[in-house]
This record gives sequence, C-alpha cells and structure tokens, in this order.
Amino acid sequence: MTIRSSTLFTVIALCAFAVAGSAAAKSSRALAGITVFAGSSMTTVLPELDSSNTYSFGSTGTLAAQITNGAPADVLMAANTTTAASLYASGIVEKPVNYTRNTLAVVVPKANPAGIKSIYDLTKPGLKIDEAASSVPVGSYTVQVLNQMGLNAAVQANVVSQETSDANVVSKVALGQVDAGFVYLSDYVIDPAHLTLIKVPAWAQPKITYSMAIVTKSPNQKAAQAWIAKVLSPAGQAIFVKDGFLPLRSPVPTIAKVTPLKGKAGAKVTVAGTNLSGTTSVTIKGVPAKFTVVSKTKLTFVVPAKAKTGTVAVTNPSGTATSAVFRLLR
Amino acid sequence: MTSITRAQLLSRSARGGAALLVAGSALSQFVEAAAADPLPGSDLAYARLLVGAELLASDFYSQAIAAANTKPTVMKYLKRAYANEQEHYQSVAGIISGAGQTPAVSGDIDFSYPKGTFGSEKSILEFAQTLEGTMLGTYVGAIGGMQTNALKTGLAQIAACEAQHSAYFNTVLGGRTFSLAFPPALTIDQASNALDAYTA
Repeated sequence: MTIRSSTLFTVIALCAFAVAGSAAAKSSRALAGITVFAGSSMTTVLPELDSSNTYSFGSTGTLAAQITNGAPADVLMAANTTTAASLYASGIVEKPVNYTRNTLAVVVPKANPAGIKSIYDLTKPGLKIDEAASSVPVGSYTVQVLNQMGLNAAVQANVVSQETSDANVVSKVALGQVDAGFVYLSDYVIDPAHLTLIKVPAWAQPKITYSMAIVTKSPNQKAAQAWIAKVLSPAGQAIFVKDGFLPLRSPVPTIAKVTPLKGKAGAKVTVAGTNLSGTTSVTIKGVPAKFTVVSKTKLTFVVPAKAKTGTVAVTNPSGTATSAVFRLLR
Repeated sequence: MTSITRAQLLSRSARGGAALLVAGSALSQFVEAAAADPLPGSDLAYARLLVGAELLASDFYSQAIAAANTKPTVMKYLKRAYANEQEHYQSVAGIISGAGQTPAVSGDIDFSYPKGTFGSEKSILEFAQTLEGTMLGTYVGAIGGMQTNALKTGLAQIAACEAQHSAYFNTVLGGRTFSLAFPPALTIDQASNALDAYTA
C-alpha cells in the first residue's frame, strides 16, 4: 500500500510535473520570443537587447533567400536597405524600417606585422588582404569605398580571400592569417583586444544603413511589432551605439510657418514644422539664435542682438530647412 | 539704361574669353591625358581625393555666399573663388571621367563645419584661409605624387590659383599676404585627413 501509495504518489507527481512541464514549455515558447534572421554584424548586439529571441545570423542575402523559401522567421534584420526593400516589393515582408547605421573600417592584427598605417598602404604589393564577397553587404561597401578612393584595382590585387561574412574576415585578421581586412566599425568595437583599427576616411564612406521588416507570413505579428519597437526605442538604440553602430539619422526638418515673420532683437518667435525635436541650431541670416524645442512640430527662438533681416534656418544632423525672409525691426 | 564704353566692352570680352580659354584648356588637358593612356592607380587615387577637396571648397563657398554675412568687397572675392573652385572641380573630375569612371558629385559627401563658421565675416574668412592653405598643400603634393606628366601643368595652374586665394584671405585678415618661399606639400594621407576633418 505504502508502495502503492508511494507509486501512486509518484505517478500523480509525475503527471503533475508533466502537466506543469507542458504548461512551462508553452509559457517558455511564449517567453522565448520570436525568431529573428539577422546579418552577422548583429551577432553581439541583438542578444544584448533580448536574449529570449531565437537568432539566426548569416549573410543578409542568404537569410533573405531562406525566408523567401519559407524558413520560419518572424523578422529579417538586414545589413543594408535594398534586401528588405526587394522582399517588400515581392510581398514577402511588411514595409521595412531603418534601425541603425554603420561605417566601414580596416582592421589589422593587433601586432600589425605588415606595418599598415593608412588605407593607402593597402596598395603595397605583397600584402595579404581579406574582404567579404561583393554579394555580401560589407563586401559591396568595400568595393564602393575603394572605388571612391580610386584604390580598387591596386587593393584587389592583394586580396587573397573573399568571405561570406564580416565575422569570417574578423576571425582571419585576429588570427593573423592575413595582414588586413575590411569589416564594419562595430566588428572592431566588439574585439579590440585582437585587432588594430585603420580608419577609412569619412569622405569615402558609403552610407551604410540597416533596415528590418516583419515577415508577412509570421504567426507572431504582435510580438514581432513589439521587437521592432524595442529595437527603435532609445534604450535599444543606446545598445547599438555602445557596440559601435551609428545612431539613426533624424528626418530632415521642415518649416511650415514662422510667427511673427518680423520683430526686434529679443523678440520671441515660434517656428511650426516637422521633425523639429532633433534641432541643433537656429539661425537668422546665419546669425545663431537661442532656441527651445517645444515638440516635434514646434520650437521657439529669441531674435539675437546681432540678427539681420534674412531667412530663418533650422538645422538637425540630417539637414536644414529655411523659411521665408524674417524682417528685423529696429 | 547703363552705358558702357568700347574700352570696357573690349576689356570684359577679353577677360571672358581668357577665362573660357583657361578653363577649356585645363579641362581638356586632364580629360585627354586620362583618356590617352591608362592612368596609374595611384594617380586615380589622387584624382579622387582632389575631387573630394574641390567638392568641399565649392560647398563651403556656396554656404558662405548664402549666409550673406560679408561686406560687398569680400563677397565679390567669395563669388570669384567659388567660380574658380567649380572650374577646378570640372577639371579634376575630368581625370576620372576621362579614365572611364564616374567622379563623386555634390551630395555624395556630407560636409560639416565648426560651429559658427558662417555666423560672421571673420569666421568665414578664417575658415577660407585654412581651407585655401590646405588646398594649396594638397595640389602641391599632388604635383609631386602623381606620375602622369601630362597632368602636372594643369595641377600647377590650379595650385597657383589656390595660392592666390590664400594670399587674399591672408591679407584681408590682416596677416602677411605671403611668407613661405616653399609652401609645404601634403602627402595623400595628410590631405585625406584634412578633408576628413570637414566630413560628417
């Protein structure tokens, strides 16, 4: 009996455990988050942002092909803007949104045995250079930079291998198998102990923007939307910046109305428009004015003492909007 | 109605004709040199940098003119310098297009300037002085660094023009019009870093 009881108890306990386990498994699936297919440059940053998702990292082009063929992804996070746009045009993903930016960099082994000090040094005969294939975003950006600098032919003569991802380039450089490689700046930031950074000039940098999109057939639309919101949130963006990515550019400001359109030095003026929250400067005919951002669509400024009659210019990191002529009253 | 004397008309025509002749000859020199033989890769690299530098100069002068914070006499020189830099851009871009490639155009590079650069005449002139010193050093460096002899005369002509700009800004800021017998040449790395300082 005791044994029976004991056995019965064991059976009941096991059943209860199984039921609980099943509930836990369901709960675990719910909490496990979504399945994200992401470019390999996202390998470090995304788990930092949410460790409960299932991630599949790889070349953007390969991931896109897998999604097209029905792979069970909820969100595609590409290392460019063209891939998601192309899948959107085919109805495979929802409308893409940009989520971060990056810059191209050259890395050399920490000890830098080839003595490379500048990107121009990569043209020296005999160097061993690694890059990603041009079918991979980082590889196409590499070719863009080298063309912009007029170095493509000379540098390609030194390329000994073409990889399927930036992660593979980083590995070969860190192990000293090559003298230099082209990667993203974010690749260097996560492994500075084994790499030395050689800057790619800003004037030659391509505009590297990443975009993401929810897969149209995803059964987890709501969770996928929550993930997109998390990535774009200030906290999410801060993690990207910490890992070497660039913040998203705010949209260019526009000015709908300046009220009043005339006034004396010291007068308070209101600007109505769009995208005003990231404003970095307000000037009247080039003379800087003290300003206060009230909302995305409204800011105020004080007419400076040295102001002159002229257009009001509102600037943010993405561009400048100018108004009709503001007339200074004496 | 504004009247004009025959002497003034002849003078204007001569200046206009000379400008066209110089611009035409420099541009055609570069295009022909680039198209005649395959240029060494290092020359194309230099040409790309010069294109970037000329885009910076044109962008700066266009913004300085738009700011309208200078006296008419200074404005006249800003406009002249702007026109010169645009002609220089056309010429050095001709090296790239002559070699069958596509040169960078305005909008390909986002430039940024120190805060307040366009806020006063003094700040505009000081930036122009620094810019022109850099442009001069870049072209003197390019003359030494580029291997194609057929390009060197045109580059020297542009360097001479940048030296004139530099002398004007030195003078108007109250400094020495000129001083060094041999203004320094910038290496391609130094010139690239100088350009980078004003790129967003």
